[in-house]
Amino acid sequence: MSRGALKTGKRMRLGRQPGEVLDRGRQFVFTWNGEKYPAFGGDTIVSALAAAGERIFSRSFKYHRPRGLLTASFLDPGCNVQVGDEPNVRGAHRKVEPHMAASAQNAWPSLRFDVKSANRYLGRFLPPGFYYKTFMEPRRLWPFYEKVLQRFAGGGKASPDAPHGYYDKRYAHPDVVVGGGGPAGMAAAVAAAEAGARVMLVEEEHETGGHLRWGDEEDLAALGGLREEVARNSSIEVMTDSVVTGRYDDNWISVAQRGLSHVEERLIKARAKVLVAAPGLIERPYVFEGNDLPGVILSTAARRLINLYAVKPGERAVVLTANAAGDATIDDLERAGVEVARIEDARNGGDIVRVRGGKSVREVECGDGARIECDLVVTATGWTAPTSLLNMAGDRPVYSPRAARFFPTELPEDGVLATGGLAGDGSLDELLVHARATGKEAARRAARIGAALRAGIPQTVDAEETPDDSPVPVPELPVHEHPELFRGRTHGIVDYSEDVSSKDLVAAVKEGYDSSELAKRYTTATMGPTQGKLETVNAVAVVAEATGRSMEKTGTTTWRPPYAPITLGALAGRNFEPVRHSPMQPWHERNGAELMVAGTWIRPDHYGDPEAEVRNVRKNVGVIDVTPLGKLDLRGPDVPELLNLLYVNKWSDLKVGKVRYGVMCAEDGVILDDGVNGRLGPEHYLMTTTSSGAANVLEWIEDWLQTYRPDWRIHVTPVTDAYASINIAGPNSRELLSQIADGVDLSAESFPYMNVRTGIVAGVEGCFMWRIGFTGELSYEIHVPAAYGLYAWETLLERGADLGIKPFGVEAQRILRLEKGHFIVGQDTDALTQGFGAGISWAIKLDKEDFVGKPELMWQGERDGYFRLVGLQPHDGSVVPPEASQIVEGKTIAGRITSSRFSPTLGRSICLGFVAPHLTTPGTKVIVQLPDGERIPASVTPHHAHYDPEGTRQRG
Amino acid sequence: MILISCPHCGPRNASEFRYAGEASARPDPNATTPEEWRAYLYTKSNPAGWTTEKWFHGTGCRRYFTVERHTITNEVRETRLPTARLEGSS
Amino acid sequence: MIRGFISRNGARNGYRKPARYSAFGLFRRGFSGAEWPQAWRSHDLKSSYEAVVIGAGVHGLATAYYLAKEHGVTDVAVLDKGYVGGGASGRNTAIIRSNYLTPEGVRFYDRSVKLYENLSAELNFNVMFSQRGHLTLAHNDGAVRTMRWRAEVNKLEGIDSEVIGPAEIKALVPFMDTSERARYPILGALYHPPGGIIRHDAVVWGYARGADAHGVHIHQNTEVTGIDVKNGRVQGVRTNRGGIATSRVVNCTAGYSSLISAFAGVRIPIGTFPLQAAVTERVKPFLHPVVVSGTLHVYVSQTDRGELVFGASVDPFTSYSTRGSLEFTEGLAGHVLELMPSLSKLRLLRQWAGLCDMTPDYSPIMGITPVEGFYIDVGWGTWGFKAGPVSGEAMAELVATGKTPEIIETFDLARFPEGRLVGEKGAAAVGH
Repeated sequence: MSRGALKTGKRMRLGRQPGEVLDRGRQFVFTWNGEKYPAFGGDTIVSALAAAGERIFSRSFKYHRPRGLLTASFLDPGCNVQVGDEPNVRGAHRKVEPHMAASAQNAWPSLRFDVKSANRYLGRFLPPGFYYKTFMEPRRLWPFYEKVLQRFAGGGKASPDAPHGYYDKRYAHPDVVVGGGGPAGMAAAVAAAEAGARVMLVEEEHETGGHLRWGDEEDLAALGGLREEVARNSSIEVMTDSVVTGRYDDNWISVAQRGLSHVEERLIKARAKVLVAAPGLIERPYVFEGNDLPGVILSTAARRLINLYAVKPGERAVVLTANAAGDATIDDLERAGVEVARIEDARNGGDIVRVRGGKSVREVECGDGARIECDLVVTATGWTAPTSLLNMAGDRPVYSPRAARFFPTELPEDGVLATGGLAGDGSLDELLVHARATGKEAARRAARIGAALRAGIPQTVDAEETPDDSPVPVPELPVHEHPELFRGRTHGIVDYSEDVSSKDLVAAVKEGYDSSELAKRYTTATMGPTQGKLETVNAVAVVAEATGRSMEKTGTTTWRPPYAPITLGALAGRNFEPVRHSPMQPWHERNGAELMVAGTWIRPDHYGDPEAEVRNVRKNVGVIDVTPLGKLDLRGPDVPELLNLLYVNKWSDLKVGKVRYGVMCAEDGVILDDGVNGRLGPEHYLMTTTSSGAANVLEWIEDWLQTYRPDWRIHVTPVTDAYASINIAGPNSRELLSQIADGVDLSAESFPYMNVRTGIVAGVEGCFMWRIGFTGELSYEIHVPAAYGLYAWETLLERGADLGIKPFGVEAQRILRLEKGHFIVGQDTDALTQGFGAGISWAIKLDKEDFVGKPELMWQGERDGYFRLVGLQPHDGSVVPPEASQIVEGKTIAGRITSSRFSPTLGRSICLGFVAPHLTTPGTKVIVQLPDGERIPASVTPHHAHYDPEGTRQRG
Repeated sequence: MILISCPHCGPRNASEFRYAGEASARPDPNATTPEEWRAYLYTKSNPAGWTTEKWFHGTGCRRYFTVERHTITNEVRETRLPTARLEGSS
Repeated sequence: MIRGFISRNGARNGYRKPARYSAFGLFRRGFSGAEWPQAWRSHDLKSSYEAVVIGAGVHGLATAYYLAKEHGVTDVAVLDKGYVGGGASGRNTAIIRSNYLTPEGVRFYDRSVKLYENLSAELNFNVMFSQRGHLTLAHNDGAVRTMRWRAEVNKLEGIDSEVIGPAEIKALVPFMDTSERARYPILGALYHPPGGIIRHDAVVWGYARGADAHGVHIHQNTEVTGIDVKNGRVQGVRTNRGGIATSRVVNCTAGYSSLISAFAGVRIPIGTFPLQAAVTERVKPFLHPVVVSGTLHVYVSQTDRGELVFGASVDPFTSYSTRGSLEFTEGLAGHVLELMPSLSKLRLLRQWAGLCDMTPDYSPIMGITPVEGFYIDVGWGTWGFKAGPVSGEAMAELVATGKTPEIIETFDLARFPEGRLVGEKGAAAVGH
């Protein structure tokens, strides 16, 4: 058959079925491994392929055995396929789209002829954990062995060019979330809605209905009725192709919503009052030799294929049934024209010993020794309760030998209920009665929980009436007997995704990995894409059998979220990372600024030539946008008390109009932040902090005021964003400011260094003008109400044109401040630098009654062994040691460079750094080790400042 | 995502708050020894059970308050306004 | 082999040579169908032991192993309230490295790396230590400076570490977004080739098998309920299976170490915080080195089986819950996709948590306590698994000889009242 032609193969498509989900009016073509196949609307990838007679969809993880469909649901372990750039698509759940390109994930060169299937013959030599026992020597070959192991890593392919796609999130506040849209879930949702609750009904499949969808006429009629009831209730929000992925503390529920046309996957975060878990039951495979051959399927798979997708699963079948669902499957098979060659009834001692075949089922050996030729084996040997969401709520499931499955115990949480198969068995009517009662009770509890939450909100409105508090009686469901069928007489696959057999588990137990947890970790059983739903109970049974303990004693492994896999995209949603700009940002962007990320701020690093910017500041005048500087407005009579408490220095004598520099330490004496404070009025101060410390300092102050001295009368208001801040620095700065400022006498006598004034700048009232240092030149820092920031900035640049004004950025400021020896907290200090280490002993007033850091600073002052911050001058001024270069004495580290730049003003490199106590004397020679290994000499300078240490230029 | 009942604002998602540490009494800085002071700074009770601690409603009322929480179940049994540097820890 | 201490009653529980693991062994047993013997044995709980180790994770088992092998102290019980390696040792993201900030830290973790490099051969158990390289990304100036600091300290100690730029990072990790478009563009990284990942369960099982072979008794499902102290010395340990008389007890627990220490009347400066982790489904291997970002608080590696393993910082408040949270996976996914935007379709399969004992200086607390005979190996925060071998070696020497080995001197409990905190803050937070 040519590659271009449509693959029709053996037509396994049946005529129209009463419950089918196909849209026969929509026919189209898709490709599988490069070949074209037909499909109907509503087909899944695997149902369309099965209709065309395909049976092999993947190769198993370790042994590369051919795998077909097993469950025909989302969970089907052999049906993970690659679609375009999307790996691990659940082929038995994902609907086919026209032109979709699907391919097998784990086979080379092709699905039919997979070279690595040679592994299956090595099975006996490659038990689980074989890699722990070998590949150890010679050691240098380990990377090579690893590459070999990686070749066998299963799964699809991630692509570096895959587009991110659109994902978003939604918050919801439903009264009741019902996880599971089968008959029990639907009935519970309706009952809850009729009792007044807002309900969210979440169903994993593409339609609601659960097992009713592939049932008989009666089931379909009941399904129709339930769907009508749901549709009639507008307070039920129905989400299909969606799944509750987690129940977290206080009923924080996560839902992955798929099937939206414009969103790849949406994460819904719901603070539900009550969760009703109604996930139904998952059919469990039977363990026997050959149980993973293509053609061995579960009864629910057969019924889905026939009734939902109109696909005949095979020609001639052997059925092993232990329950009513299995019996009903026989009817469906016969209706679909499958020859049922033999029925083994496990309730009467029937059994399947082994299945033989190469790439597909060929022959079954039954319990009585009979060998039947067939191409299809259908098993119905029991159910697994997916208790995961209940476990996340604290429930510990308990095994019931009578029902051969686990049940939840006492649900510990008020806000979590269970109904449907999780809670018990019974006829459809019995299950619906239980579900309706559960739904009604859920609504009642939700109302009560809601009232309690609202009562917790302080308000002046009268408290509402507590709603009626008598619980709705929920009848107990019967628990039917079911034969315990986990493993037959031979060994077979337990975990299909991980290729772990019952023999592997027994071997692990024998080697001492004899608890559920250890056996799981050793063999990796339950750690694959099916998350344990299909394999955990069988694994527990095998471990129990091998240890001789009961299943109750063996217990299960812990169920962990997410309940179903969810994309990273949905978890991430849209990337909301706020960015902060000053009002002058548009000017910077228009004028050649190289921008930098500084925490949450974006600001100019430089405008092309930082060294020229430095020279201009020292020669003429420069302006820098320092809006990110932290600013706090402090008002009240007790402000000096606060300053005295939080800073190491004294504040009580600070007069109106004066400014003082201060350092804040933490309770362990470590330097926290620094800045200048100005007194604007008798009870009005303005505090500045570092820009990165602004938020922390505010919370620090609030902590002390609220929890330590709530009696102090102080108001604190953050005004960082309320003012645009501009630093004007250079010999011409007074001249420049005089041209745009009003209402303030700018003469040196009236407005000396370390003072603050309020006045008019560029016609804007209520501006602050500070005379402070940082660059070492005559400078003024002006704070303009933010709305006028850009205007003030542009006015300055205009008026300063004749004075040689140029903007300068963070880099130039770094150089300027380093020339003046000003340390930067967090760069020239670290998380262990206590006050005296930074050279601020002049500021530390130990005679104050109390201040934060006092005890530790006192003790630091009494000892000597701490490193100190000093100025350092490399002997060769043309070498600029990178910051963090280490200072060494032989092989011992004796300090490091914390700040380092080439100084355009001095024409040589300058540094600050920490040195060991015995090296602090000015003039001491130290050795700096550069990153390339070269060692250079440097000397300790007398001051931190390399330029104008007396500060004459800034005091003028 | 646990719910914490802020004394001012009522029950809110824990992401609105910042955990501010186990409650502890601050020794008199003028009458303390290095051992006592550093025990205050560093040593914790760290119980697997009920604990008394401080939280801050950062994206809400911006007030500090005291919480009694069970560290295994994350159940919160009481929240109240802070007393000045609480006496002892639980 | 230093034999500083011969077990007092001369009892030698007997060294039983374990069946040798090898390719030949696999071949032979594959043919014959013979089973492998148990990796470690079960024993009755004796009423006394020379030494009792609390915690059968990597630290406890390594301590017992080296006590027996290096010091001839074989009358040792290792107690665990759960199964072997069920605590932090089974929940971490198995990253091994030595690129720390302080010289003492570097020397300590490097000794561990060296022990890990030889561990498969030493224990005859493949621990699958894959030294595929470790990258710590820097997204701002301060971070680049810290990376440079670490690189320089590392190099002075002879460790392979260097600061590299975006182009080299892209070559090592083609899936990484190293462009300027990122919200926090990558400015550089600390590249540490000897770092990598390991099969953490295998390390635990290997040490268990090795200790067992030397006669150590490993007691699972045995919970310590009290420690008897009289006149300032340890007298014994009480458990749910009976009491044990002993004069040496080592606390090698994580998560409950405050509780255990309190049994002996010792208070330690730790807060217990959950640390969460998660894995995705398998995809074909594409990520070679381990990638960590301090700014984005996330780390990523890919196992040989193809799963991506993720971690981030500890939870923001103390808790003994390992239930996990949604906000952790949300933040994590957001940051992973900032680094590698093309991975949005990958699905998260499983999340879990372990308990981390965080100390004020991001360094462990090891050595003697005011109670004679009660030793601690705690405070392991998020930096514990990588230190298993060196800690076991050092604690064994301390317990056997009574002398604190130099390599752990800076981690003493006394440093807190004496104000001598270790300066690792820059390196440990979110580096694993």
